[in-house]
Amino acid sequence: MSTSEILFWFLSVLALFSAIMVLVSKNPVHSVLWLIVVFFAISGHYLLLNAQFLAIVNIIVYAGAIMVLFLFVIMLMNLNKGTEPQKNIWMIFSGVISGGLLLWIFISASISAGDIVGKNALLKDGDIGLIQNLGKVLFSEYALPFEISSVLFLSAMVGAVVIGKKN
Amino acid sequence: MNAIILSAAFGVMMMLCSFLLKNKGSLRHIASIALLILLVANIADTYGHTMFLINTHGMLLFNRFGMLFNSIAIGSTFVYVLLTGKEIEKTGTYVAEYFVLIFFVLCGVTLLSSYNNLLTLFLGIEIMSIPLYILTGSDKRNMKSNEAALKYFLMGAFSTGLMLMGIALTYGGTGTFNMEAVRTFPNIYKGLASFLEILGLLFLLVSMAFKVSAAPFHFWTPDVYDGAPSVFTSFMATIVKAAGFIAFIKLCAVRMNETSGVVNWQMIYAILIVATLLVGNITAVFQQSVKRMLAYSSIAQAGFMLFSLISLNDLAYEGILLYAAAYSLATIGIFAILVKMKDISLEGYNGLAKTQPALAATNMVFLLSLSGIPLTAGFFAKYYMLAAVLKTGTYTWLVIVGVLFAAVSVYYYFRVIQAMYFKEGNPQTEVITPSFKYGVIALAALIILLGIFPNLILNWLYF
Repeated sequence: MSTSEILFWFLSVLALFSAIMVLVSKNPVHSVLWLIVVFFAISGHYLLLNAQFLAIVNIIVYAGAIMVLFLFVIMLMNLNKGTEPQKNIWMIFSGVISGGLLLWIFISASISAGDIVGKNALLKDGDIGLIQNLGKVLFSEYALPFEISSVLFLSAMVGAVVIGKKN
Repeated sequence: MNAIILSAAFGVMMMLCSFLLKNKGSLRHIASIALLILLVANIADTYGHTMFLINTHGMLLFNRFGMLFNSIAIGSTFVYVLLTGKEIEKTGTYVAEYFVLIFFVLCGVTLLSSYNNLLTLFLGIEIMSIPLYILTGSDKRNMKSNEAALKYFLMGAFSTGLMLMGIALTYGGTGTFNMEAVRTFPNIYKGLASFLEILGLLFLLVSMAFKVSAAPFHFWTPDVYDGAPSVFTSFMATIVKAAGFIAFIKLCAVRMNETSGVVNWQMIYAILIVATLLVGNITAVFQQSVKRMLAYSSIAQAGFMLFSLISLNDLAYEGILLYAAAYSLATIGIFAILVKMKDISLEGYNGLAKTQPALAATNMVFLLSLSGIPLTAGFFAKYYMLAAVLKTGTYTWLVIVGVLFAAVSVYYYFRVIQAMYFKEGNPQTEVITPSFKYGVIALAALIILLGIFPNLILNWLYF
């Protein structure tokens, strides 16, 4: 077993274990903390695939910004064990059925998709994920969507002013 | 390309106007002049005079159909600003910003009429939706407006999530974001498409159906249309919805069509159509508020526009353009009159023909056009939609269902006409200026003209 294989199995087990812990933790704050562990484990996977930029962005955006947002919401709403709403049995039943159906579709999709089976990811080499190549593609082939997304952000900023400013 | 860049640039220009100009009354004149320039630039672009030569790397594809739709959308926005510009000023304090957002929505609309890549589809949908969330909540003191904005935002964000998931899955299945996917060996399932792609397309279908408010994904529509300030409901229910259909029809014509050997997409559309017509028409019958009735009627009209997805032939393309024009103009007219009414319930219209004969007469023309009575534009719009399906030779039963529901729709549109003409009452309206009166009369004349000569629009598709 090479080092990268050991790392791969360690990260996979860590990601799966903490993902399950997100679901089973009774305390929402613990769930959020476990979710951060999931993100770190997935970033580790990206590093193994030689995608450093994606790994860093994943940590900055998800573990940094979005998780802080989650924590804020949980704290503001003051969710803890006592305030967990009583769940209707039918609600749980329908949730399990629809979730199970989705899982079924995904599993059958993955199994029957010929492009996934028997194809290994490139470990350690492969330079698609490097920031140099990303930048080149972003400013040549994807220059148009890149520029147009500025309109999107501009409208969001205008919106923040319109909604947030006091009269 | 002209329309995309200029609409964004005019948006920025209006932003500068908001602090350079102190006189708010001149803003709507600037906006209408800018819209006129935009319209001229787009027509020039249609005939090959483009100002910006940009290599889009196949992200955008400009064709006559999309260009003509751009002209219709920009023209309808122009009419909209001319008729209801004053009401936009009354909505809140940030008048210039509202125009900015309208221009940005137009940028999204023009992007959606020319996208050739799932990335640009996503950008177009988002550029179109985000300003709308804000416009919905622009009446900050009104709780209903706030509720509508939050509801719209949360539901819209959810459907965007579904769309992204769909795009990611189709990318996994085909390895490209381009509309025309090259399906090479390992990606093939049943000789046509990968299973992942089919799953992704289903997600895309759901999110697009949400954007055009087709049942069973319509639940946000009545609350949002009812809660938003009436002027912005008018914009949302017309131009934006039509643009959603243009994007939808393109997606179906390419991606769904390519995989039709694996999935019977037409059956799925048929189910969507019947559900949408049923929900829209039957619920509209029971509404007491005209605004809410129009929200349900817009769901019902979406059902008719969905017919073009089944047929996808030349009649369907002509029909969807005619439908976009007829529906947008008539709905803008109805809303222009609605915002002048003090009481927007059905009783509020009682006896309008006595006090404001011009408004009542034009409102009647708009309502007749929406219900599809001959000699109005709405008749030919519905005719083309149904004829396109008949031309394909299959799904004849769907045409019969469509005609039946069109008959149902006549009932609730005529309730408003009945209230205006045959009931006694003293409707309260705001001050009606002569220019507004001439405006709605001109719009009604245009609708009748289109109802007699639909080729006035359709010829542009070929010449």
